Amino acid sequence: MEAPFVSTHRFPWVLLVAGVICLAAGSWLGLFVVPAEHYMGDVQRIMYVHVPTAWTWMVVVLFSLGSAISFLFMNDLKWDTRMEAGLEIGSLLAFLLCCQGAIWAKPTWGVWWDWDPRLTSTAVLLFAFLGILALRKFVDDPTRRAIWSAVATIIASIDLPIVYFSVKWWNSLHQQQSSPETVASTFHLPLRLNAIGILLVVIALLALRSRVAGYRLREQLAEPPSFITSEPTGELA
Amino acid sequence: MSADVKVLVAPRDTTPNALTAALRKELLLQWRTRGQLMAVFVFGAAALLLFSFAIGPSAVALRTFSAGFLWLGLLLSSTLTLAESFHIETEHNALEGLLLLPADARALYYAKAIANWLQLTLLGAALVPIMVVLYDAGTSRLPLLLAVIALGAAGLSAPGTLYAAMTARLQAKQTLLPLLLFPLIVPALLAAVKATSLVILGDPMGELRSWLGLLAAFDLIYWSLCGLLYGRVIDS
Amino acid sequence: MNGIVVGGWEFVWAAYALTAIALLAYGVMVITRSREGRRRADAGPDRG
Repeated sequence: MEAPFVSTHRFPWVLLVAGVICLAAGSWLGLFVVPAEHYMGDVQRIMYVHVPTAWTWMVVVLFSLGSAISFLFMNDLKWDTRMEAGLEIGSLLAFLLCCQGAIWAKPTWGVWWDWDPRLTSTAVLLFAFLGILALRKFVDDPTRRAIWSAVATIIASIDLPIVYFSVKWWNSLHQQQSSPETVASTFHLPLRLNAIGILLVVIALLALRSRVAGYRLREQLAEPPSFITSEPTGELA
Repeated sequence: MSADVKVLVAPRDTTPNALTAALRKELLLQWRTRGQLMAVFVFGAAALLLFSFAIGPSAVALRTFSAGFLWLGLLLSSTLTLAESFHIETEHNALEGLLLLPADARALYYAKAIANWLQLTLLGAALVPIMVVLYDAGTSRLPLLLAVIALGAAGLSAPGTLYAAMTARLQAKQTLLPLLLFPLIVPALLAAVKATSLVILGDPMGELRSWLGLLAAFDLIYWSLCGLLYGRVIDS
Repeated sequence: MNGIVVGGWEFVWAAYALTAIALLAYGVMVITRSREGRRRADAGPDRG
């Protein structure tokens, strides 16, 4: 399979800068300007960073799924580089979501983890993505690595709504408190600014990370073929 | 083992023939290695014993969580049986010898998945008496319990067979198989534990049907999806 | 939900700081690797 072309566009940097500006503005508004919410108090301000992270995470998961499917159909390794970026950044965002959720839950419910279906599904998919990243580490052949992790990504992504539904149902029978409202009050500006900010930053990171994957793939594929040293696989028979 | 390979090489035309031939081979293989299944059963029973030590000798607590213990024990045992199901293929590179048309690759998958499913159901059924004794979790509705075990085992077997095929030739296969499988089968695990619990402890609000529905839906989705994708996995 | 949650600023700071640090650290790592990859690609296509 051909080595993917690695783009050198400037656009990730523009997005990165724009994203950081939006995030700074949105966070400043959410932390200092907007008044405290009535029931939740200042703790509610966590939502101005938690909800945007959640939205962006969903976008990254869909992007990973799309890249996986695209690779299986088009056999172009550039989709594998994009999927690798999506898996890694998706894991990062999922981990952040679990931490933010726990930090929010402790003052609110008194426990670090309240088995909220959304966060629990995020945790499950975090483990699934980490498993796929681990799988990639152990497969040397680039094509096989790409195919297998694409298959695993599709299977894991399709599982996400099923996991969410089953946890929601499982939880609803035990939950004494109702699901928390994410944004009860109507302070949309910091939320929207942060949402745009995180999204732009993550798009830039995805582009840059897939470039890194592209460079690595190019180096790996440029190496002289090792059929002299490897054991016979029987495929020539 | 070459005799088993020849069983599959001959019928190459229609899918039902390929499936029956492959299935026959898998069941023959499992019969020949039934000693290993015995060992896995002992492992599962030991796991159930250890769970009761973790909880303590409270009869009420043990009975309440007996369904969870059964399925955790079965899940852990499945990592052994699933990995084993591809062991024979990697030994003589027999897997490449079986590489045929895409339709036959799918037949191979379903044959293995069905064989694994039967094995896990058998294992689960064998663990039931252990569960009854250790946790005082008896029930008169045995056929229903077996049906739940069968449905849950199907949920483990479909993705488990796919991932076992992927990890069979990798060095870290013992870690990677459970690492990949466990997050995926969370819905099946939840539903199976819940359904089993309802059978054993009683179902005052009639939820059993819904949980069985969730389990059946999961099984349907993954038996089709994994079969579809298996061709690409084995192709490389 | 009953009553008003008072205080909790340390949690708010923790959440924002964690998010900022994680994104920043990851960003720095990716940018460094991207630069390194570009440097190696420009320098050594005459291999093999």
